[in-house]
Amino acid sequence: MEIMSLVVTGLSIASILLLVALGLAIIYGVTGVINLAHGELVMIGAYCAWAMQSFFGLGLLASLPLIFLATALLGWIIDRVVIRHLYDRPLDTILATWGIGVMAQQAVRLLAGGELRYVEMPEAMNHPVSLLGVEIPIFRIFILGLAVALFAFTWYLIFRTTLGLKLRAITQSREIASCFGVNSNRIYGLTFAYGAGLAGLAGAVVSPLKSVAPEMGTTYVVDAFMVVVLGGVESLIGSVASAFIIGQSSSAVAFYANDTIAKALVLLFIVILIRFRPQGLFAAKVRS
Amino acid sequence: MNGAKHLTLDNVTVSFNGFLAVDNLSLTVGEGELRCLIGPNGAGKTTTLDVICGKTRAESGEIKLGPTLLNDLEEHEIARIGIGRKFQVPSVFRQLTVRENLSVAHSRRPGVIRNALQIRRGEASEGLDKLAELVGLENQLETMAGHLSHGQTQWLEIALLLAQDPKLILMDEPTAGMTVQETHKTAQLFNRLKGNRTLIVVEHDMGFVKEIAEMISVMHQGKLLAEGTVEEIERHPAVREAYLGSGGISHA
Amino acid sequence: MRNRDLIQYLTYGGVCLIILLLPVFVQDAFLLNKSARYLVLGILAVSLSLSWGYTGILNLGQATAFGLGSYCMAMALKLRTIPIHTGAEGLPDFMVWNNVEKLPWFWEPFYSMPFAIVAGIAVPVLIAAGLGWFMFRGRVTGVYVAIITLAFLVVVNLLFIDQQRFTGGFNGITDLAQLDLLGFTFDAYGASSYYLIAICLTFCLFFALLVTKSKAGLILQAIRDHENRVRYFGYDVARYKIFAVSVSAAIAGVAGMLYTIVMEFASPTFMGVQLSLSVVIWCAVGGRQSLLGSMLGAILVAGMQGALSESETFLDTWTLVMGLVFVLVVLFLPKGLAGAAETLMGRLFRTSGHPSKTAATTQGEAPARPAASRPT
Repeated sequence: MEIMSLVVTGLSIASILLLVALGLAIIYGVTGVINLAHGELVMIGAYCAWAMQSFFGLGLLASLPLIFLATALLGWIIDRVVIRHLYDRPLDTILATWGIGVMAQQAVRLLAGGELRYVEMPEAMNHPVSLLGVEIPIFRIFILGLAVALFAFTWYLIFRTTLGLKLRAITQSREIASCFGVNSNRIYGLTFAYGAGLAGLAGAVVSPLKSVAPEMGTTYVVDAFMVVVLGGVESLIGSVASAFIIGQSSSAVAFYANDTIAKALVLLFIVILIRFRPQGLFAAKVRS
Repeated sequence: MNGAKHLTLDNVTVSFNGFLAVDNLSLTVGEGELRCLIGPNGAGKTTTLDVICGKTRAESGEIKLGPTLLNDLEEHEIARIGIGRKFQVPSVFRQLTVRENLSVAHSRRPGVIRNALQIRRGEASEGLDKLAELVGLENQLETMAGHLSHGQTQWLEIALLLAQDPKLILMDEPTAGMTVQETHKTAQLFNRLKGNRTLIVVEHDMGFVKEIAEMISVMHQGKLLAEGTVEEIERHPAVREAYLGSGGISHA
Repeated sequence: MRNRDLIQYLTYGGVCLIILLLPVFVQDAFLLNKSARYLVLGILAVSLSLSWGYTGILNLGQATAFGLGSYCMAMALKLRTIPIHTGAEGLPDFMVWNNVEKLPWFWEPFYSMPFAIVAGIAVPVLIAAGLGWFMFRGRVTGVYVAIITLAFLVVVNLLFIDQQRFTGGFNGITDLAQLDLLGFTFDAYGASSYYLIAICLTFCLFFALLVTKSKAGLILQAIRDHENRVRYFGYDVARYKIFAVSVSAAIAGVAGMLYTIVMEFASPTFMGVQLSLSVVIWCAVGGRQSLLGSMLGAILVAGMQGALSESETFLDTWTLVMGLVFVLVVLFLPKGLAGAAETLMGRLFRTSGHPSKTAATTQGEAPARPAASRPT
């Protein structure tokens, strides 16, 4: 059934988008920082997966926790060293993180070379299985599951824990939260680390599907921002919904045309939407 | 002052996610009048100004300048009709000089193409220089607005409004942070302005209000509590109750 | 006041004069060509300075206008090469390779050079104005503008690469004829091209300068400082912003056309993220609030890069270093070198006793996130 095939492909694309966008959404939603190096963090995650495999013989699944920690640490360092000077200058954080992204890309190029690298899919997951009547590799279902699990975990973290409460307090008003003893600097650092870790995970998990190259980050950061812009900032559900919408429409359009046209049409849709609903699809109504 | 109705608010309600900042407010200000809008914090005074100049949308009710309905107009359209606003928070253009600030405020011809063809220098300089003199900034014409003192910034804001030359002026706490002399000078200025223009002034400084007020509207919790002259308001029982503990409004 | 303006005009004129006189001292064709390239990139930087430095619109996709302009010129020059067909109609080689039968309708008008030149300006302007209309009418703030313009660039880039039957794809449009205009033939390695570019640079620079000196230019700066306040004076801010990006795109389009002439091809890299990032860096380093500063920033940095680009590894390290320099400039020198120079001048010639602010002054940019509602 063709439609089912489209739907399943759409789900797969959506889950990848969600994985990549989740970290970005959290960082932007909580700290207001636009992290243009997000794509490079995804790229670094992918390269870590390759490095783990090539130099340590570690399988993808086994290396995931390590990759999360490594990229989380990197994110934390970026925040502490650079970003914290720029909390009140949002346009400048875009530039600074873009610069960091460039540095990261070049560093990787110098260290690992510019050729395409390949990461192997875990053996066990390489077989196709039937989902909704459509043949799909188990690995893609794994990605779907991981995306859902991470989203649920993140949601739980933000809405059900004390740490998450502090996070939400800071998002509302940093100064007042500080008056209540919330150490916003530390929380910002942790948020950045968590978002970066998610990005690294996304990169690692996605790496077997496409080849790994230093410039792969750019399309991912653009995709991630499209998800966040469409879904509305500060809405986790919004991110899920928009990832789903973009995933399904990309899949549908790509079927009739190709990936590039799909991307172009998605962007066109978002640009038109912004004109009439700049806050995205799911933003709360607040006084501007 | 003639008795023509200039600004009318008719059952205006402004709500933020359920919180009624302005609750069924009806207000009429005559042409050339100087109306003071007072009330405790959170009464909805600034929101009222916001909804007149277009910063906030009214959920229900009508706002009219003369016969023109303002509800669906954009901020710049409302400004072009002849409404000017001074904001609570200082909002001059900090990286532009005083003269440049005044030039921007002089917005008689706001169109893009026309202004693209207009060289800055020649335009209305004399009038703007006189304005600077009026507010005591004639020596600071080439100073960046960001370098002015707080009092000077307030004066500049007033000068900007005058440069804009609106028929209806909305002032939000114009004397905040001013010294006694500056406040007195502001009162003199306002007394000169009214008649030719209509002014609505939101204020906390009761001494200043007494110096300039003809009619006072008192707001409380988004509603209009009382309206009248200074004496009437001072005697008003509901007003005394709202300002409970402060001995009414006589203590300035 | 008049003096400051006079000094500014003289400085701008002086720099342009030096640029125009270069071929008197440098005859080497290769060097002339390289210098011409940097001049073109300088024009591109001026265009970004207008929209970013003066209006506060961070257009991360400035290369879109540049690339579109360059392709317009390339299409015209391609159609002028004599042996362009290996089949029925006179078709560019890459079309033949892609089994295209007939020249696409949107290529036809480019047989006319005047059309191509007008298109090289009009197409970027229309696209920039169109995108601007959607964004600015929707009151999209600076941060989102940056993301959307970047995304737009990426998509246009991908489209051009994808539609290789019409655009030459990854390789772009190569093997072009030389520009033949008004009786002159412009050889990319000759003084003629250099003069063409230097004259266009002078024109674009002064045109941009006059725009900033107009009342509209003043209002753009007011918008940069405090966008919302400007509305309450009666100005339609969206229109002014659309104006700013349109003029900016026009200048970038001109630069793009010149780039095709001097590089002798057009490629998707002309509308690439790398180039867009570089323009931002040049303006940041040179001083985005100064047209001349941005231009010199571009010439300086691109020039250094060109001079050092011997080995591949060196180029990669160079880019790494530039990234670092960029981050440092953003952190500590937000007004770039021009800003630092101005602060220095201000300290040396202190007037009316007011202290000059350090270069670390930032613009009051409110965060894009909605704040919690607070009644007053």
